[in-house]
Amino acid sequence: MENHKLSISKINKLFKDKELKPSELYDEVFERAASTESIIHGHLTLFQEENIQKALESNTRYEKGEHLGPLDGIPIAIKDNINISGHVTSCSSKMLANYVSPYDATVITKLKKEGVLFTGKTNLDEFAMGSSTENSAFGPTKNPWDPSRVPGGSSGGSAAVVSAGSAIASLGSDTGGSIRQPASFCGVVGFKPTYGTVSRYGLIAFASSLDQIGPITNNVEDAKLIFNSISGHDPKDATSLIATKTEQPNLNKAKIGIIKELMEDGISEDAKEEVYKVAKLMEAEGHEIVEVSLPLTKMSISIYYLIAPAECSANLSRFDGVRYGARVSGNTSSEMMELTRAEGFGPEVKKRILLGTYALSAGYYDAYYGQALKARAMMKKEFTDIYKQVDYVISPTTPSDPFKFGEKSDNQLEMYMSDLCTIPANLVGMPAISIPTGLSSQGLPLSVQIMSPANTDNTLLDFSQTLQSLVSFIDKPILNRTEK
Amino acid sequence: MNIIPTIGMETHVELKTNSKMFCRCYVLDTDLPNESLCPTCLGLPGSLPAPNKKAIEFITLLALSTNCSITNEGMFHRKNYFYPDLPKNYQISQFDLPVGTEGSLEIVVDGEFETVEIERVHMEEDTGKSTHIGSGRIDSATSTHLDFNRAGIPLVEVVTKPLIKSSKEAVAYIEELRQLVIDLNISEGKLEKGNLRFDANISVAYEGDKELGTKVEIKNMNSLKSLEKAIEYEISRQTKMLKSKENIIQETRHWDEKKEVTSSMRSKEGSADYRYFSDPDIPNMILSEDFVNTIKATIPVLPSEKRKVFMDSGLSIEDSNNLGKSSNWIGDFYIQVSEITKDSKASFNFITGELQGQLRKLELLSLPNWVTAKNLSEIIILVNNDKISFTSAKEILTKLIEEKLEPEEYAVSNNLIQENDIDEIGKIVLEVIDSNEEVIIRISDGEDKLIGFLVGQIIKLSKGKVNPSVAKELLLKEINS
Repeated sequence: MENHKLSISKINKLFKDKELKPSELYDEVFERAASTESIIHGHLTLFQEENIQKALESNTRYEKGEHLGPLDGIPIAIKDNINISGHVTSCSSKMLANYVSPYDATVITKLKKEGVLFTGKTNLDEFAMGSSTENSAFGPTKNPWDPSRVPGGSSGGSAAVVSAGSAIASLGSDTGGSIRQPASFCGVVGFKPTYGTVSRYGLIAFASSLDQIGPITNNVEDAKLIFNSISGHDPKDATSLIATKTEQPNLNKAKIGIIKELMEDGISEDAKEEVYKVAKLMEAEGHEIVEVSLPLTKMSISIYYLIAPAECSANLSRFDGVRYGARVSGNTSSEMMELTRAEGFGPEVKKRILLGTYALSAGYYDAYYGQALKARAMMKKEFTDIYKQVDYVISPTTPSDPFKFGEKSDNQLEMYMSDLCTIPANLVGMPAISIPTGLSSQGLPLSVQIMSPANTDNTLLDFSQTLQSLVSFIDKPILNRTEK
Repeated sequence: MNIIPTIGMETHVELKTNSKMFCRCYVLDTDLPNESLCPTCLGLPGSLPAPNKKAIEFITLLALSTNCSITNEGMFHRKNYFYPDLPKNYQISQFDLPVGTEGSLEIVVDGEFETVEIERVHMEEDTGKSTHIGSGRIDSATSTHLDFNRAGIPLVEVVTKPLIKSSKEAVAYIEELRQLVIDLNISEGKLEKGNLRFDANISVAYEGDKELGTKVEIKNMNSLKSLEKAIEYEISRQTKMLKSKENIIQETRHWDEKKEVTSSMRSKEGSADYRYFSDPDIPNMILSEDFVNTIKATIPVLPSEKRKVFMDSGLSIEDSNNLGKSSNWIGDFYIQVSEITKDSKASFNFITGELQGQLRKLELLSLPNWVTAKNLSEIIILVNNDKISFTSAKEILTKLIEEKLEPEEYAVSNNLIQENDIDEIGKIVLEVIDSNEEVIIRISDGEDKLIGFLVGQIIKLSKGKVNPSVAKELLLKEINS
């Protein structure tokens, strides 16, 4: 019986109809983990033993007809930069390798209330900095479609485990594309909500003004379900939005803009073809397709690599060996801090801290960080203006299909360029979804990205669901094929 | 040429909110370390700051009460530096958009009004507390103990312009600020508890010089006395250096309470670059006109206004200022009493001297309800009209605090009413003269000190009812005639 690729609503129906028990699905998912983890290394920790009891409790709730909601009994994986009380939250860093969080992130509290079963914590690039999971201190995750290729990053583990079926869905975090890019590389759906709709409390910060938690799922419907259960105002997060009902669903005749600047040099032909293919399908449904120009998207990498490192340079200051985490002793307290940080952080993290520290330094602030803030504001305005003309904008999620290990780790700029299409949504704060739509000439997954104005998340998800029904994407990672 | 000192003060005021600035941990007054902690004030990974609305109201109240302009869009910044008692290794503070700017505070120095100009009033979070074992400084300590109870408590920093001219003025400024935050009910205002902590920036220059001298920051002054002494010391140190054309370096100096000297802590040349940037975890604070007006409406009677009321009643600036430092009910009580007695000075003296003295002695925080402005005034008026002696007045007051009584009735029934009838007193004087012939002779021979003895005899004979000054006057008249 293969249930791990069913939609959550179908699973829920099976549970309610007593055709499947949560504990049976739980076992199935961990069987998948047993057969795939040794190859893909998606989970850093598995909670199999400790959650069996919870799966049985879920069984009982369904038997009594007292289940907590559609997510009751659903095994979900959590990126290892989101705190679960009593468990290690390592951020894939030596710095926090043994750090046990004493509290739950708000998203975890919400999912627990719904009876979700956590499969474990998933691998990421150290402190969510990277696009391939090659920066994990605990070894990379491999792409279930081709283990010689990267799963993308930084939420590579979260995308890979959904693709491989060792979780029904997962949570990732997205600072510059860290949900969408790995979702695209692994042929699954990745959704980055509007900034402020999902509480960041308990998410270990990379760049606070850009970070947002979101779901990685097998389909859009699941993404919507999870999004709606983890979103909502949280008094513990001052940037959390108070829900505003401004959504105006316009599913029949939407106007969709293809972003000209994200269909130019640096984007593979395959990736462009997917966008055109999807555009045609939508046109056939009566939607209007136009080309829109957003010139500042070309600057997004430059803006991002000033703002994100600047914020991270302060966010990561707290890792000093004084109160928790790794500690390397020294002759003085400052020496202890220096040695701890030298030993605890990997090279990419150090590089970004240095970059950010420099960008904020006296005499350089105005030229770098200050300019980046201005450019970011201009970019926001550019998008606001475009949304007066179109309902959605569309682009490839990634410039190419998944690359091989080591292929880009020597060329930093090329690695950074792999987030070209995804960064604008973080800088602007708008929702963006990546939907797998087809395969490249190499038979690897490709996705398109759709974005819409801030606070239209449910509209975007509904629209994406109709789009998903138009494309016939066949989810066949190599791991699944070889088994059959 | 005269050498003139210039002083600027930076004062941290600990607000008395129930909870901390960015989390809901209680602000505890305890010696037990690390009792009030949560992920946020401990800087645990993933925690976030959520600003305390009460603290924003308090700082707005203080900024308005120091005549500051209120920034309608305030912003929190991160001030980056590494120190073990700073949980996040950055402090959430304010930078270019503080809550209040360009204010002023009226103070009283030597019985005269002065105005201290306030540069800014901004909000920040406190750090934890380090206790270094084996040494006063972290790098030479054998170990350092950290207590994070204090971490995250809301602080307001009040920065003056460098226009203060003397140690006396600096002390008067701190006294005024302390009284203000107490009257505003936003801080305990206890110096000994560190509710108010201050640093002084001091420079000296020749009178008429257009530029200020090199600024030296003095830290670790824990009382008004040490503030005064440290400033005095530093002014004289710098003055000597300026006179002998020595180079004064910009630095932070530590006040040594025992040795009564300042010593160099660190040079400013290698000072930290704090890399301020707006805190992305906290949206801008919009202090709307409505909000500011609501706060404005809650401003109580300020120390300067209290002084004005006391001065209008007839008190000097100095007395008005001192009375303002008493509890508000004492001031109110004084106003009621002085309106009845029509004698402000006598009312002030009796209330701040005798009444408060008695209350302190009995460790009472308020008056028994039968002690009213009316019966207290009655005592003062009896003294003023020479009906009772000051000694009797004190006796009546002591009784009055013990039990309900009518002062005049009590004076009469206890024979405390003074004899003011000259003829009656004259008779007693003559009686004393008659029975002390020997003494009179000695006085005539120049033994003046025996006059007091005779006055005492007169008072004794009258059973204390004779006004001593009247008795003395009559006695001398008789002897000399």
